[in-house]
Amino acid sequence: MDVVGLARMQFAVTGSLHFLFVVLTLGLAPLVAIMHTRYAIGGNPLHERMTRFWGQIYVINYALGIVTGLVMEFQFGLSWSGLSHYAGDVFGAPLAMETLLAFFLESTFLGLWIFGWHRLPRGLHVACIWLVTLTAYASALFIMVANSFLQNPAGSAEEGGRLVLRDFGALFTNPTLVFALPHVLSAGLWAGGFVVMGASAYHLYRRTPEREFFTRSLRIGVLTAFVGSLFTVGFGYAQFGPVSDVQPDKFHGAVPGVALGLMIMIGQFVQFGVMFVLAPLLIRDLLARWRWLHPLLMIMTPLPFVAAIAGWIVREVGRQPWLVYGKLSVADALTPGLTRADITASFAGFAGVLGLLALVDYVLIARAVRRGPGRVALGAADLPVTAEPVPAHSL
Amino acid sequence: MDIFWFLTFAVLLAGYFALEGFDIGLGVLLPVLGRSPADRDRLVGAMAPFVLANEVWLVALAGVLFGAFPVLEGQALSRLYPLVVALLLAWIVRDAGLWFRRRADGAAWRLAWDGALWAGSAGLALAWGAILVAVARGLPASPLDVPAVAGGVALLALLAWHGRTFAAWRLRSGPHGSGRALLLSACAAAAPAVLVMAAAAAHMLGNAAPDQTLTVLSVMVVPVAPILAGAQVWVWRTFSRGALPTFF
Ligand code: HEM
Repeated sequence: MDVVGLARMQFAVTGSLHFLFVVLTLGLAPLVAIMHTRYAIGGNPLHERMTRFWGQIYVINYALGIVTGLVMEFQFGLSWSGLSHYAGDVFGAPLAMETLLAFFLESTFLGLWIFGWHRLPRGLHVACIWLVTLTAYASALFIMVANSFLQNPAGSAEEGGRLVLRDFGALFTNPTLVFALPHVLSAGLWAGGFVVMGASAYHLYRRTPEREFFTRSLRIGVLTAFVGSLFTVGFGYAQFGPVSDVQPDKFHGAVPGVALGLMIMIGQFVQFGVMFVLAPLLIRDLLARWRWLHPLLMIMTPLPFVAAIAGWIVREVGRQPWLVYGKLSVADALTPGLTRADITASFAGFAGVLGLLALVDYVLIARAVRRGPGRVALGAADLPVTAEPVPAHSL
Repeated sequence: MDIFWFLTFAVLLAGYFALEGFDIGLGVLLPVLGRSPADRDRLVGAMAPFVLANEVWLVALAGVLFGAFPVLEGQALSRLYPLVVALLLAWIVRDAGLWFRRRADGAAWRLAWDGALWAGSAGLALAWGAILVAVARGLPASPLDVPAVAGGVALLALLAWHGRTFAAWRLRSGPHGSGRALLLSACAAAAPAVLVMAAAAAHMLGNAAPDQTLTVLSVMVVPVAPILAGAQVWVWRTFSRGALPTFF
């Protein structure tokens, strides 16, 4: 593979890893925020246990979202300096806003939420998780604005061989954004709902003592997936119009064609399944009681993740060979002088380290699910500061 | 307008070293200050609630570089390719150590991730030292040589000292426990970055994005700046005193 191919591969692998974790973050954050709010208002200990259990799953997943995101943030400058040279005056703005207006606050408030148990007043503590949710969604908005600009460079004009910003508002009304953003956010809800559903099915199937906890969680998971899937499919079909306007041949290639077929097949089948089978079975908790169905629910859990990766393959492979559609090709955006040795080493490093950590993270999520709500570290008791002297002066 | 964004960039860089500097330094000193697993838990507990709010200064820095100085972003990162990749890998390994060390039981598990925390912190300090030296020398073609290594080792020592004053202050022990010492070491940790920024100022100002872009950025970001600062203050007010949280 040549240098461009390797650099593309590096971006695709790290980007896909990033999205696998981000899509769950987007789905779980609002669920945890709602659970925490119900606890804060009603004081029901069940809601507290739900907040901590699902919150811990959310937080373990978040770790990989951060570390993969760091690589994404720096990768534009590392391998694609031609992009910042040609379009940075436009494309850089939404990325800068993502870091300053969204991620900076998201990370700060998440720290306050994770470590704020026993410390923050209940109302402020709940406010933290809502701010985390809000800033996570703002993050998704700015990133999708940036990506949509690459799909269709709205709001800009070429001057002296570089793109300059003409109309900032046009970045936000970009036809490649308006249906794609809700499509992605609903896909997140769907993924979050399925994880809650699958984990609950596991406990119900194993007949662990947490029957009430997981019967209720199962209901939350299926209802979330129901809402998420409805909007995912709706906004999915709505995308065909704008996409065929700006990128008419997008789905003709073999890879985007197959990926699109896979996404639609999963989307259509599973959406019908949720709507006509799983949701009705919530009546009188039949779904929680019919144990033979639970293995099926567990097996279905990864499907929205597969569809989401397929979706990105459609969107990104389908616009090749362009990085900025119709203006700058991927090959022309490659950092000049980037050597094969450089990119091979960084690709091996990022893919190796992040791939390994992703596996560890999934094992840890599975472990946290298996251990159940009885043994949750999030919100556990603090450590006294003066238990024993720290040997600070022994240096 | 370009001066405003240059100053923002400089403040973020200095703030990153003053704040994240003590997390890195404490990570480097983990095997020295924390001989027993319980000691290490307390040291990590001291820095844990600050890390997320500290490391994000560098993410913001990268964002400002891309938004306000896009040409430099491409230039600097690609010229420093191996160093930036090393920095990112070290950062990832350090964070993984923090997030994972308590997620499973067993002494071996904890020891392995404490090792990752240590190695990642050391790698961060070394890579940063080398990067600052390279920027100060105007991005030489091969940024890995003797001065780069010397810069890395010097920064490692500086941040380790900063980490130690933080631990002494937060855990209230030893003669260095005062807030004044922490302030001093924070300024010292930020000093190299400030000097490098001063050296690079003219070059940066000459390569800022056009006014149209900078205006849009200012209009969007400035109104929110008090919230950014307020959130940071809230973190310090909440976690400076009292028992140590145990999640990391
Ligand atoms: C009937 C079902 C679906 C239809 C008709 C559909 C349609 C589409 C289309 C046309 C695109 C490409 C847009 C572009 O190239 O610009 C796309 C992208 C995408 N899809 Fe789907 N999709 C469906 C189901 C799903 C499901 C189930 C998921 C995940 C849970 C998903 C996640 C995504 C993602 C993450 C993208 C990339 C970002 C975007 O363009 O929104 N899709 N989808």
